Amino acid sequence: MQEHKVEWSDWCPGCGNFGILSAEQQAITELGLDPKKIVLVSGIGCSGKTPHFMRLPISGVHTLHGRAMAFATGIKLSNPQLKVIVNAGDGDQLGIGAGHFVNSGRRNIDMTLIIHDNGVYGLTKGQASPTLKLGLKTKSLPKPNINESINPLAVALASGYTFVARGYAYDVKHLKELIKAAITHKGLALIDVLQPCPTYNDLFTKEYYDKRVYRLEDVKSWNPVVSKKEEVDEKMAMALEKSLEWGDRIPIGIFYKNELVSTYEERITERSPSYIDNLPSQEVIEDNGRPTTLIEEILKEKEIK
Amino acid sequence: MRLSWLIGGAQGTGVDTSAQIFGDAIASMGYFVYGNREYYSNIKGRHSYFNVTISDHRVNSVSQLIDVMATFDAETIFQHFEEAKGVLIYNSSMKGVKASSVVSMEPEVAQKVESRLKEKGLGETVEDVVKFVGERGVKTVEIDYDSISKEISVKMHLPLSVIERVKNTIAIAASGKIIGLDKNALLNSVKKTFKQETFYNMNSMAVELTYDKVEKVFDLPPRNESKKRVQLDGNTAVALGKIYAGVRFQSYYPITPASDESVFLEAHQEVMMMDPKTGDKRKGTIVVVQSEDELAAINMALGASLTGVRAATATSGPGFSLMTEGIGWGGMNEAPVVITYYIRGGPSTGQPTRSSQADLLFALNVGHGEFPRIVIASGDHVEAFRDAVWASNLAERYQTPVIHLVDKGLANAYSIFEEEELGLDSLIIERGKLTFCPSEGYKRFEITKDGISPRAPLGEAWMMYSGDEHDEEGHIREESENRIKMYEKRMRKLETADAEIPEEDRLKTYGDIDSDTVILTWGSPKGTVLDSIQELKKEGISLGLVQIRMFSPFPKRLIAKLLSGKKVIDIENNYLAQANEVLKLNTGISADSFILKWNGRPIMMDELMNALKLSMKGEKKVILNAGA
Repeated sequence: MQEHKVEWSDWCPGCGNFGILSAEQQAITELGLDPKKIVLVSGIGCSGKTPHFMRLPISGVHTLHGRAMAFATGIKLSNPQLKVIVNAGDGDQLGIGAGHFVNSGRRNIDMTLIIHDNGVYGLTKGQASPTLKLGLKTKSLPKPNINESINPLAVALASGYTFVARGYAYDVKHLKELIKAAITHKGLALIDVLQPCPTYNDLFTKEYYDKRVYRLEDVKSWNPVVSKKEEVDEKMAMALEKSLEWGDRIPIGIFYKNELVSTYEERITERSPSYIDNLPSQEVIEDNGRPTTLIEEILKEKEIK
Repeated sequence: MRLSWLIGGAQGTGVDTSAQIFGDAIASMGYFVYGNREYYSNIKGRHSYFNVTISDHRVNSVSQLIDVMATFDAETIFQHFEEAKGVLIYNSSMKGVKASSVVSMEPEVAQKVESRLKEKGLGETVEDVVKFVGERGVKTVEIDYDSISKEISVKMHLPLSVIERVKNTIAIAASGKIIGLDKNALLNSVKKTFKQETFYNMNSMAVELTYDKVEKVFDLPPRNESKKRVQLDGNTAVALGKIYAGVRFQSYYPITPASDESVFLEAHQEVMMMDPKTGDKRKGTIVVVQSEDELAAINMALGASLTGVRAATATSGPGFSLMTEGIGWGGMNEAPVVITYYIRGGPSTGQPTRSSQADLLFALNVGHGEFPRIVIASGDHVEAFRDAVWASNLAERYQTPVIHLVDKGLANAYSIFEEEELGLDSLIIERGKLTFCPSEGYKRFEITKDGISPRAPLGEAWMMYSGDEHDEEGHIREESENRIKMYEKRMRKLETADAEIPEEDRLKTYGDIDSDTVILTWGSPKGTVLDSIQELKKEGISLGLVQIRMFSPFPKRLIAKLLSGKKVIDIENNYLAQANEVLKLNTGISADSFILKWNGRPIMMDELMNALKLSMKGEKKVILNAGA
């Protein structure tokens, strides 16, 4: 595999993005995926630059603030053979892109969304993001945060995401496994990654998280997988409750996983069985310039008799 | 021959269906029809109407003055009585209804009616209006809708509440008899619409009973039309064009008057295709995504286009406003995407269901920064179909967003024409520099002489896209020399397009283009202009027409040649005469006089003929206002 030489990366020393980038590349390598068939889609902000800093020769689509999921949807549905991974920021996906975050859940397209969650808008000098709690004052804020925060895991669960997890940028090994699980999950997967911003967020630092995070896998009774329909309510309630745990102990790991829900691709195939065999992006729509689509039958509906 | 017919009633009571049945019956007799639908932005209750032109040749417009006006409620009478020219059909049980008591009517309309009648010294009931109209030479035909309904109710042993629905059919049957439509033709069309026996029986009985009660006024002998003819509205024409063009991804958010196009695509998302290698027929799929908003709609289409699929979206003004950011990304990333822009009345929600051409300058200037935007505009239903293919070709050839303008006046109107006019055999698909086998060291944004780079789909090579300024590989670069090069590369594409696309395709001329006076227009007014100059020719008035088909790149050399030294009358459905602004900007030429309309209704033939006569006498600006 021809690796790309990355001369420079824009991120500050100690930025959690390095951990996420590293875990993501390791996950892709360990899964043995063909880099040519992977597309990394990102939004705007520090996290949005992720595709540019990949060592692996993976195509990237660096999109607009908040809109990465919409671009990803178009890419995946036109060519379901591609593996699509979205890297978005917390402000990016849960602020300006909140509508797409929620509605993507309804579709359950087979993709992975990784949210770089650091509680601030880094690239614009540290304004409060939607995940910063009410009343907190980071060093970059002139006054304590006036808004309450969003719980990304709970919103994802309520919106239909079929894989919901939380990772920690400085537990690269654990995050790598989460990303592998998310990519191989059939359906839409979210990983909310806790990520210190050493420049602007002096509250949620590496030291803060290192003391508090614990792995759900280490909890013996924890089983987030829905294995039959009857379990959905119970597992979702369990995951929701777990998503509220925040304080001295902060759980990371898989909160919820359900592969019983049909993907959007399956729903299209149900309506048009040729979808998977004749991918829209590969269609031969012309033959020496002549359209290959036959519209006589449709025109007949419109004919005057 | 040209006959105008109008049917009106409350939205949701079957006015559309009955207009369709009537139009279908007339078309089946070998006639051509052009119909325009006017409606409020509501589901049920407000006044809606269909204005239909019947002719023995292709027609492209509606008239303000109506030969046969079919009404069964009071509001249609109050809204339209001044447009009645030949025959007015009215409901005897509505005679006593006062304008002030029709609650669905906007107060201004009621007041206008009352003051108009007061002027004439008449009362304010339907009967008073009918009397007023009758005195002006209109034949008034009273129909007792209730007694016909009752008769059907008794004969069919059905409650009156069910029979209530046949009032529309009574109205079209009375109209049919008056214009001389063969009863069996109407019955056939009723049969096509009402598959269920009970509904067919009660509607056909309504036709039979009404035909016996009304007298014929006009003649409509059967005509022989050997050629295959089709009926298309604007939304369907574009949808069909997209299917033919090979569009396999469409994302949209519901909005009037655009969504019918996407709904049609979804209904036909399994398409029949021919395998070029084997010649076998097989099925393909159009992915149609109803997105959460227009931001998602444009960005999904952009994402899709990067995979090599022909991708499109369709929207109207408010949605297009939301799409501006995405269109800019498409310009920066040289993504081929087609945006079908159905213009309705703005600003803001404006008049969601009404005609307008006020978004031309917006479409031309959409997005911040400079990038090539190709903008084309359809003037009739055949063009709407063909332009959907053209737009897709242009998008891929020049790798940039293409905006296809279709105004509401076309979207919700329909016309009948010969199928061969669609010119299926002459349409070709051009995919530009799309390649599935990119060469070694492929660069998505390779700098080339014509500004256009080889384009490989995602998954076929390594590539990077970014809305930030980028280098040939797609990586972010802020360095100044690269900025200059990439900027120029993108802008050069518009120069290439300007050099490559024949100016003869970017505008069309009609009528006596050598005459002293030339009309300039674009979009749906084209049809009204064509019909008007044909009529005026009979009166010895000679006029030419220049129809602008592409606004960017603008056909500046040819249009300057055509308009220089001429008296130019600009006709548009907006206030600012926006196409004239584009003309001025590109050529320095300006129209001499203007005929403009911004009341939300399409330009009608008779009002335009009067306005043209005024313009030719030297009137600088004529403002049109016809249409309820």
